[in-house]
Order: sequence, then C-alpha cells, then structure tokens
Amino acid sequence: MSRSWSRSLRTAVGAATAFVSLAVLTACGGAAQAPAEGTREHPVTVTFWAWTKGSQQVADEFNATHDTVKVKFEEIPSGGLGGYPKIANAVKAGIAPDVLSIEYPSLAQFVSQGSLQDISRYMTPAVKKKFLPQTVQLTTMGGRNWAVPSDASPQIFYYRKDFFTQHHIPLPKTWTEFRTAARQVKRAAPDTRIATFFPDDPTFFQTMAWQAGASWFSTRNGAWRVDTSDPATRRVAAYWQGMIDDKLVSTAPSYSPEWTASLKAGTTVGYLGASWGAGTLAGIVPEEKGKWAAMRMPSWDAAHPSVGMSQGSTFAVSKNSGKTAAAMTFILWMATSPDSVRARVSASTSTALPAAPALVPVARKAIDTGFYGGQDLYALYAKAGATIDPHWLWGPTAAANNTLRDQLHGVIGGGTTLPRAITTTQSATVAALRKSGLKVEDAS
Amino acid sequence: MSTETSTGAGARGVRDARATAPAARPPRRRGAQRTGLAAGVLLTPFFALFTVAMLIPVGYALWLSLFTQKLSGLGFGGPRDVFDGFGNYADTLADAAFRDGFRVLGGYVLLYIPIMVGGALALALLLDTALARARRLFQLALFLPHAIPGLIAALIWVYLYTPGLSPVVRAMHSGGIGFDFFSSGGALPSVVNIALWEWLGYNVVIFYAALQAVDRSLLEAAAVDGAGNWRTAFSIKLPLIRSSVFLVLLFTVIGSLQLFTEPLLLSNSGSAITSAWTPNMYAYAEAFQLNDYGRAAAASVLIALTAAVLSFAVTRIANRKGASA
Repeated sequence: MSRSWSRSLRTAVGAATAFVSLAVLTACGGAAQAPAEGTREHPVTVTFWAWTKGSQQVADEFNATHDTVKVKFEEIPSGGLGGYPKIANAVKAGIAPDVLSIEYPSLAQFVSQGSLQDISRYMTPAVKKKFLPQTVQLTTMGGRNWAVPSDASPQIFYYRKDFFTQHHIPLPKTWTEFRTAARQVKRAAPDTRIATFFPDDPTFFQTMAWQAGASWFSTRNGAWRVDTSDPATRRVAAYWQGMIDDKLVSTAPSYSPEWTASLKAGTTVGYLGASWGAGTLAGIVPEEKGKWAAMRMPSWDAAHPSVGMSQGSTFAVSKNSGKTAAAMTFILWMATSPDSVRARVSASTSTALPAAPALVPVARKAIDTGFYGGQDLYALYAKAGATIDPHWLWGPTAAANNTLRDQLHGVIGGGTTLPRAITTTQSATVAALRKSGLKVEDAS
Repeated sequence: MSTETSTGAGARGVRDARATAPAARPPRRRGAQRTGLAAGVLLTPFFALFTVAMLIPVGYALWLSLFTQKLSGLGFGGPRDVFDGFGNYADTLADAAFRDGFRVLGGYVLLYIPIMVGGALALALLLDTALARARRLFQLALFLPHAIPGLIAALIWVYLYTPGLSPVVRAMHSGGIGFDFFSSGGALPSVVNIALWEWLGYNVVIFYAALQAVDRSLLEAAAVDGAGNWRTAFSIKLPLIRSSVFLVLLFTVIGSLQLFTEPLLLSNSGSAITSAWTPNMYAYAEAFQLNDYGRAAAASVLIALTAAVLSFAVTRIANRKGASA
C-alpha cells in the first residue's frame, strides 16, 4: 500500500511539474513583440473580446477591408455578468486576448490591476482631437492613456409619447418637473410609474450624481481624493429617496424580467437611460413601435443642463498582448472609421453614440429610428454628449460600487436610506483604497 | 452496526466520493506483494486526479492566502505581490461581512434542517407503510426536482418569486397574502424553499432505502404484539434508520456551508440578498469583484476548515450513538 502511494505520488508530482512548466512556457510565449503588420500571406492576427452589440459585424468588416492585420472576435458575457472576472482571470493566466472592451466605470480598476498597456504613444494630439474631450479625459489616468473611447453615453430620457400626450403631462425639463410629472402619471393610472430607479446597478445612481456635478474620485498631489457624499450627491440622494418613499418610481432591477414585463404591460412609461438604450428598448418591446420618444435627461439647472455618462465602452490593449501595434491599428480603425460605425449601427440595433463626433452623421444615416417615430435621435445625442459634465472620474476600486450595490438593496428593502448609503460607501471605499496601499485623502 | 453502515455507505458514495475514505477499510493482506501491485495500478488514476484536482488547488489556495497585492501612489504602476503572513486571515476574520455570512448560514440551517429532515422522514415513512399506493410514482415524483441542476432550479424559482411576473405571487396577492420573496425578511425563506424543493426527494429516497432494509420479521413481531402503524414507525423503524438520519444531517450541514448558486442568482435578480450574504459568496466577491485573491483564498480556507470541523463533530456524534445502539 505505502509503496503504491509513494509511486503514484511521484507520478502525480511529475505530471503537476509538467503542467506548471507548460503554463510557464505559454505565459512567456506572448512576451516578444510581433511586427505592426504582417503580409498578405502571413497577416498578424489580433484577438478581440467584447459583448457590445454589433462587435461581430465590426470585426467582419475589418477583415473584409484589411489583409495585413486580421481580427479574431470572441463574444463574452457582459462585464457585470461574468465578463470582467473572465478578463481578470485570463490576464492572470497570461492568455488574455490582445484587444479588450472595457466600460468606463471599470477602466481604472483594470489599470490599477496592471492588466492594461500604456498606449500614450499611439494617442497623439491629432488622434485625441478626434474624440469628445470628456471621453479622452475618462481614459487618461496619471497623465497616461490607457484606452481608446468607443462610445460616449450621455443620459437620455425615453418616454411613452402616447401616454404623456393622452394625459396632458408636460415633458419634464428639470428634476422638479420630473417629480410633478411622476405624480401626474400615478394619478392618471395608479398602477403606472413614470420610470424606474434601478436598485441593482450602482452606476445608475452614480451617473445621476455625476450629472448633478458630483466628483467621487479625483487625483490631487499624487493621492486619490474620495468624496462619495459631497453636496451634489447628497442632493441627488435626498431627491431619489423622496421618489422611492412616495412610490413615484418603480424599483425593478435593470433589464430584469420584472422590468420588461412592466414595459410590455404599459405600467412603466419611461426609461432613464442613455444613448445606447434606444436600441435596447426597441429590442425589448418591438410591438410598441412608434409610441416611444426620446428627450434630454431632466436636469438640475434648466439654464445650464448637463448630463452624466451611463456605462459606455472603451477599447484597451491587454498586458499579455505582444501585438500592440497591430492591436492599435484595429482599435483606432474601430473607433474612428466610418466603415466600422456603419457596420455596428446598421448590422445590429445599436444606437451607441460614437465618441468621435465626426462619425455621428454616419451613425445618424445608418440608423432606422422608426421605433421612435422617425425622431432624429443622433442630433439629440450629439447635443447631450456635448454637455457631459467633465469633472467625473471613476475610481480604482470596485469597493465603491460593491458597497453601494449592497446598500441599495437595503434602501429598497427599507433597511437604510440613500443619504445613509452614500456615507457608508464613503467609509468603505476609503478603507479599501488605504488597505490596497494607495494614498488617499478622505474628503468627508 | 454493520448493516446500518452498509446502507449508508452506498448513498454516501453517490453523493460525495471524499466521504467514503474514512469508511473504507484497508483490504486484509493476502498474498501481499501481488495485491499491493494491483491496488497500486488501480489506484494510480484516482491519486493522480486527486492530486491535480484537489491537492494542488488546495495547496495553491494556501499559498495565495499568504500574499496580498499592494499598490503605491495613485496605483497606475500596477500591483506588487507582498508576503503578508496570516494578515489575510486576520482581516477576513475581522470583517463583519464575513462573520455575518456565518450568521446567515446559522439561520438557514436552523430553518432548513428541521423542515428537511422532518419532512423527508414523514414522507419516507408514509411511502413505507402498507397503505401507500403507487410507491414508484411518488418516489419518482419526489426525486424529479433533484434531477434538475441547481442553477436551472434557481432560475425557475426566481421567476416564481418575481412580483409582477409570477403567477404564484399574483395568486397570493389576490388571496390577501402580501409576502415579498425579495425583501430582506423574505430572503432566507426564499432560499430555504428552493433548497427544500431540490433536496427533499433525494433524502426521502435515502430514508426509504434504509426503511426497506429493516428486517420484516421485526415488523411482523411488532404487529403480533399489537403495535399500530404509529407505534411501529416511532419505536421500531426510526431507531433502526438512525444512522441514515445522521448521514443526511452531515451532508445537509456541509451542503449548507456551500450555499452559493441560489442566493447569488437571487441577488442578481432584485432580491435583498447582498454580495457577501454567505461565506462562499464573500469569497467569490473578494476574488472576482474586488480582485483580492489573497483574501478570497483565506476565506475559502476558513470555510473548508469549518466544514472539516463540523464533519468531524457530526461523525463523532453519529459513531458514538451507533456504538451505543
């Protein structure tokens, strides 16, 4: 018995050693830099992971128009549903693809994990000028560029035009008017709500705070300044707590069956979304074609309207990539070429607003806005995009989002309130950043 | 004792191969050399797999749990791995969220185990009485939910719990019952309900198999002595299948420690369940949402240790009871 034990143990150890050395070898394999371009016979192939609508079509279009660089696209689950862990694990294992799609809120976290390459070299002033300055700022950290903006995603309010007209409810331009409109909607149809406060997605609330001029994270004198309960955020928290307490909004989770069921039943007649939401909405309730319309997100100051950005994605080059130059060729083509936007918008139902303003007319021409009664969506988006508040920066930790998400559960369940939730978020975020060794200034 | 363990060991093997190890007795040494060689050859695949799938990951987790990642300045230079000794363990134990996870588990076990064991015993005894008709049909019907993967089961239940969507919730509301499965108070019963649905039939089958092994002459003797169905059930059948009951208890307690899939899905679907509701969810969130692999590894090791201590305690108690019987 004992002899067989030691023998099998030795076999196992041998096998394990083989595995480990194999893994080490593969990990080292990516280190050498490949040339920027291949040849027609031997093109450089870059791999690309994303979940955004139309990515497959964009990759196909690139392959159809290029022969020295080719793209291999793989669809992954969306970030919050397992996509980000998948990316983080792949980077850790040394097998991440060359090009990654990462949303703005998670970018700083990937940067501080050391998962991405510094691409400042490729982001020349001429390249940067092609994008909305706010989106460039959101992808610049510590004075270096870490990603290329794909879309800007200004907040937009979608509403059931037929319902608002039928009940003579004026369209809300400010949040005060929105509250009045919410009351009118409830009076007109007691089971119906003007919109949904998404309690499962902390970025929904954060974007609302962003719009009001909050700045949760900023860098000053080489330290992170954290302030998740600044006056602007407190104002937004008090407002939404009132809306929830008075049952003027629904609190179904975002894009949940509960939410879609209420849209289909017509008991939710508005959607506080962003530019890309138009396509999503049209996909959920195609039978309500022609009944919906889009307008500016209500604002705090009617004279100087501003918006925050809800999600939105960027393209980055992973640490593991040995093909930075080829990857950047593909990324810059994706972000700045009309072919790419045409492929994305017309082949799918994406209504993303390109971060490069020059491409907006292309998207505008390619999109079918029949669902919105032929409304000129992109004109609205472009106008809203220009008013994105430039003071917001996402933080280098998921602790803020995680704490806020858990707190929001309590807000809906009645265990806590939004004003309390943001102070808890502040202390948890500061503690998490300190623990990870960062310099932190607690602004609360 | 021996007949009792044999009925138990079969079921144990189905459910968890690791648990058979303490039950297996080394074969008696006859013709030592040859048998030893054969055993070695036959066992090698097991040990190879065991090493690759168990020992190496456990070793890696132990190793990971001793390190932490440190950033500096603004953190854009990327992280450094730093040896932290037992720092991760201390931090995890000091984290109220981790301890709360065990409190939730405690509540879960207190609610779940009595209903599960009581319900399964009652159903198994019913099936075992002479009165029962269509035994096979009932056995199959009871077992069927267990054939559905936990993930799918959780998805179905999420649908049935969702207000505005679920016919069950609608029916309850029109009947005047306003129970909210997604509220913070409703979270625990919701999860217990899913677990019951999944595991009740399985445990009924274990109990029923044990009841089938009860010597029929004993039951006849009891009948002759004038014992009715109730008396037979409580005074003869139950004491005889005690080891099966302990077995089910053991698995249920360990299974409870692994509570993860159902609450995670509920948590993503609008329930009041938070990201670190159970210890396993805590480890998951630390690793895959907060990227703190060291802390996640430490939490996993602590969960494994708890499971080991609990299993040891339950088997010890079970063996002592068994020996005194």
